[in-house]
Amino acid sequence: MKINCVINGRTKEFEFDPARSLRELLVSDGHFCVRDSDDREGFAGSDTVVVDGIPVYANLMLAGEVDGCEIRTPDGLADGRRLSVVQQAMVDAGVVQSAYNAPAAALLLTWLLENNPDPSKEEIKDALSGIFIRDAGYEHYYLAVKLAREKIASGGYTSEIAPEFREELSVVGKVKPKVDGRQLVAGWKSYVEDRVEPGACALVLLRSPHPHAYITKIDISEAEKMPGVLTIITCENCPDVFYMQAGQGNPEPSPHDRRLFNRKVRHVGDRVAAVVAETEEQAKAARDKIRVEYELLKPVFTVEEAMASDAPLVHNGVVEYRAGAPENLDEYNKTADPRDGKVIYQFPLHGDIRHNIAAAAHGKIGDVEKGFADADVVIERTYQTSQIQCTPLEPHVCYAKMDNDRLVIHASTQVPWHLRRIVAWVCQIPENKIHVIKEKVGGGYGSKQDVLVEDLVGYATWITGRPIYYRNTREEEFIANSTRHPMRVTVKMGGRKDGSITAIYMDVRANTGPYGNHCLTVPMNACSKTLPLIKCDNMKFDVITYYTNIPPTGAYQGYGAPKGTFGLMMCMAELADKLGVDYMDMAKKNRVEEGYMLEILKGLGEGREGNVVPVGSCGLGEALDKGAAMIEWGKREVSVDPDWKIGKGFAMIQQGSGLPGLDHANCDVKLLTDGTFMIHSGGADLGTGLDTISVKMVAEVMCVDMDRVSILSGDTDNCNFDTGAYASSGTYFSGNASLKAALDLKTNVLDEAAYQLGEDVEDLELRYPGEVHSLKTGNVLTYAKLSHDALTGTGRGQVTGKGSFVTNDSAIPYGAHFAQVAVNVRTGEVKVQKFYALQDAGTPINPELALCQMYGAALKSIGHSLYEGMVLDADGTCLNPNFTDYGVPMISEMPDDFKAVLLDINDAYGPFGAKSISEIATNGAAPAIGVAIHDAVGIWIRSWPFTPEKILKELGRM
Amino acid sequence: MYDVNNIYEAFSIEEAVRLKVEHPDAKIIAGGSDVLIQIREGKLAGVDLISIQMIDELRGVSMLPDGSILIKPLTSFYEVTYNEIIERYLPTLGYAVDQVGGPQIRNIGTIGGNICNGVTSADSAATLKAYDAVLKITGPDGKRTMPYLDFSLGVGKVDLREGEILTGIIVPKESYERTYGHYIKYAMRKAMDIATMSCSANVRLSKDLKTVDRFRIAFGVAAPVPTRAVSAEAAVQGMPVGEALLDTVSKAVLQDLNPRSSWRAGKEFRLQLIKEMARRCTKEAITKAGGKI
Repeated sequence: MKINCVINGRTKEFEFDPARSLRELLVSDGHFCVRDSDDREGFAGSDTVVVDGIPVYANLMLAGEVDGCEIRTPDGLADGRRLSVVQQAMVDAGVVQSAYNAPAAALLLTWLLENNPDPSKEEIKDALSGIFIRDAGYEHYYLAVKLAREKIASGGYTSEIAPEFREELSVVGKVKPKVDGRQLVAGWKSYVEDRVEPGACALVLLRSPHPHAYITKIDISEAEKMPGVLTIITCENCPDVFYMQAGQGNPEPSPHDRRLFNRKVRHVGDRVAAVVAETEEQAKAARDKIRVEYELLKPVFTVEEAMASDAPLVHNGVVEYRAGAPENLDEYNKTADPRDGKVIYQFPLHGDIRHNIAAAAHGKIGDVEKGFADADVVIERTYQTSQIQCTPLEPHVCYAKMDNDRLVIHASTQVPWHLRRIVAWVCQIPENKIHVIKEKVGGGYGSKQDVLVEDLVGYATWITGRPIYYRNTREEEFIANSTRHPMRVTVKMGGRKDGSITAIYMDVRANTGPYGNHCLTVPMNACSKTLPLIKCDNMKFDVITYYTNIPPTGAYQGYGAPKGTFGLMMCMAELADKLGVDYMDMAKKNRVEEGYMLEILKGLGEGREGNVVPVGSCGLGEALDKGAAMIEWGKREVSVDPDWKIGKGFAMIQQGSGLPGLDHANCDVKLLTDGTFMIHSGGADLGTGLDTISVKMVAEVMCVDMDRVSILSGDTDNCNFDTGAYASSGTYFSGNASLKAALDLKTNVLDEAAYQLGEDVEDLELRYPGEVHSLKTGNVLTYAKLSHDALTGTGRGQVTGKGSFVTNDSAIPYGAHFAQVAVNVRTGEVKVQKFYALQDAGTPINPELALCQMYGAALKSIGHSLYEGMVLDADGTCLNPNFTDYGVPMISEMPDDFKAVLLDINDAYGPFGAKSISEIATNGAAPAIGVAIHDAVGIWIRSWPFTPEKILKELGRM
Repeated sequence: MYDVNNIYEAFSIEEAVRLKVEHPDAKIIAGGSDVLIQIREGKLAGVDLISIQMIDELRGVSMLPDGSILIKPLTSFYEVTYNEIIERYLPTLGYAVDQVGGPQIRNIGTIGGNICNGVTSADSAATLKAYDAVLKITGPDGKRTMPYLDFSLGVGKVDLREGEILTGIIVPKESYERTYGHYIKYAMRKAMDIATMSCSANVRLSKDLKTVDRFRIAFGVAAPVPTRAVSAEAAVQGMPVGEALLDTVSKAVLQDLNPRSSWRAGKEFRLQLIKEMARRCTKEAITKAGGKI
């Protein structure tokens, strides 16, 4: 059908199938930033366009409907390379982070302001009510609108964007536009999907309909004959290589317990076969022709089922150890079933797969029994967390192709180097044959720490030689990706009437699902990021992780900490309640402070002995004091409606800044011939502003404006090794590497200047806007001249700086999150009226980005606490594998009064005093809200999510 | 690419009816959001579509000479909410359809599509039931009208016979005159969520505002189809305004409703919601009408 329309002011004529969506029409016309993140569910709003003056989802309109219409797309907002006022305001407000939906949000806000130049908060909320933002929360979108209005009215901003830190520094701690903000908000090519070239082949997966079964027969003969099919990979022809998808340090603290395809399927959605064909339609048609026969096995879904004495075994294969094998291994393997494959531990994780135990850890300090005996009150409570999904807007995606004899992988990843190592291992090829290019990441949150699709796409490309593009459907994101490990956390705590805690015992039983991704470290983290908050001489923990047949688990922002914090802080509040002590007093009395030796860490290393360190910079006290004042702790609030009861709660939180002793980051920086700079950083910016941090490090040290510094990062050919952006390591590790590189460059520039000027280094300084100045002679040498003269054939060569960062020092971020909730005693509804997130991030290098990450993480964790949760039926099939049914929070779920506060604490080890900021912010909401619910209506809800149904049950209303 | 066989475009009601007769299995597509989502879910693979989007005579809200309000089916949720007649006489309906999705859905979703899909959670359904809406239907044998009360036949099933299309929704003057209503959507989240339960009530009080002259209450998700709780309506007819009335409503509605358990919410919880929402919705409607409780 002929379709005539106007797109961004230009008249267009198409010959297009009217049954295709408007989005497909627009993408075919080059408007690729009209994206799809929900598989046409009409939820996330990535496909928002304006048709004849009204915003619509382009996925939910047929192309045929726009004949004669005028259409605006997000990429029409910028004027060439110049951002529109709204786009610039979004960058300046800090909301452009992973930014998959930033272009669509910019279009919606533009539409709003054109129709209503002076919108109320409610009107802004309404305009954004159909767009899902997971990374930055929504709070600073209100600020972005305000900034845009100020700019339109007066040509500049009058509002403060964020507090600034360290007066003596020029860019660090200051509000400066994120270096990649422009391309992201404008909808320019950024993501993996934007790199796919015409002619790329498609890969689709046949997935298991059963939670637990042996594949007894798989017949691909018909499928192979289908048109366009290039290859079909199954358990019968895939490499006999066991590996681990978790992108962790090498050797991995997770077992190698899978191949690309296994003879046994272990969850609904597990891989059965991959079909590579020239088009997606062909691949799907061939997939329908694959015939599989299964021998069904009884599944286990919960920790309780997995630990039962007669439980079916999820992994009953041969166990091997790369190091530290126990002596009785042959005996242990006698009952192994070869169809189960192998479980290869890199070193002992105290697993026992014949009892479904993937890993275990135990540790203690002091004597807990004595501590309990000394207590006036001892309580023991069990807390249950649910299976929740990271829901990055950009699903897991990969584009791989060959370049001569090298495999090039365009990846949306947090771990380019682990990715290269794992793909090399799976393909059994050396690492020099692989080039990983980390593209902009449209949302990771931990799920892109794991190599969940690149293993297969890389292998398929390697064997076919063809370029292959693969993208998870949204359903696959839920059922075949990584989720938070559900955990049962039992806490036993003893306390005295004076509020002191005498002993704590944590018993953590974690559910790792079908494979052991992060099976030791996530559950241990439930202890290692919580027990060190408390000054207590008697502490003990047992951690056991079980295999089951639920959808896979893995890393998710917060790691084990949100679950451990939920257990520990709720139990402390329950103990305070029993003792008749104010919970705040108890927290203050028992919290750690600077200099306190964290002996408990000895037993909490990641598979090795932990590093005992004293508490360094610590804003815990200030967080509690300020938060208590802000929320008016102790003051009883009364609602005008007697059905609504109001209560307050809080939780102390901590995280780490990377893994001292394990992580490693590298950075190089070059002085270019005109005196500007190019950074090559191993750090994998996943949208959080790590590239901006590296640029700020160099700009600050070299005394130049940020636009004289450019960066390439996360590219395995062009940058040096970095363990990756996980465990809150970005700022601390990759940032410190950038700082070290900048300082090294400074030394080398001064040295070269001394040589060129014939002066002593001690007499020279760097100064703005980019020159060497002699304090002795007053001589000035610009970087441009210095660099030019170093490279003119008579000079000493390119001036560079190199930074390699490892450490045993910890920079632990602390904080406290406060909530005020209203609970309806008749309907069980919970409204979060106030939420205050107070955090000590050391020196926040990008304060506006830091605030937005705190809002994003807090809102996300409010979602985890109140709404989200994967629901499985009796056969292990997920009943809600889409956004609407799963229940992510949107702008309407924001607390009425939402504040993120950065406490001004300087750290001794972080770059310019910085610590990590984002991950910790997912830890506080569940216990803060849980305690507030108790304060409101007197019940303890001990399982996620805190649904109205559970609340009414506890209240005895039903 | 949507798995669609053919798309037929109708430019008049007659043409739409003719196409529907010629292609009895074809689906009517108006705004498109619901139908396209169903196609995506694989429920309607290879379907024929009849687009009625171009039929302008099916769009708009007007007042008929007898004072009834005519809402044509292609009117979008947004247009319903911001229509002056609706704002003045039927604000409860305007509010109800404003609870649907975000602006991207409210701009294309239509009120006709909302009730023809026969979904019990449809946001307009409970309110239109509670206002005794009458439907105008045109088919190959001509026009007919029927009470919306009898329109819902089952989950996803409505009383549209072969070749018929909905051409108008009428709210009689008798239903809205001196009547005050309230709608509550109970969902886990405020926006972009499907109702766990919805309730719409409206009331006309006596001149002295002391007794109930007329009362209507209907629910979504409390039964397989949107349902009016006629026992409750009868039970409070003529009752004095007060707490006892609320107790009566809250108990009586249970006789008319039959919610089920699903993974979203258990039956027991839904029953509790029904009682509470009946009470609150009735109270709000009475308060709006000037009654004091």
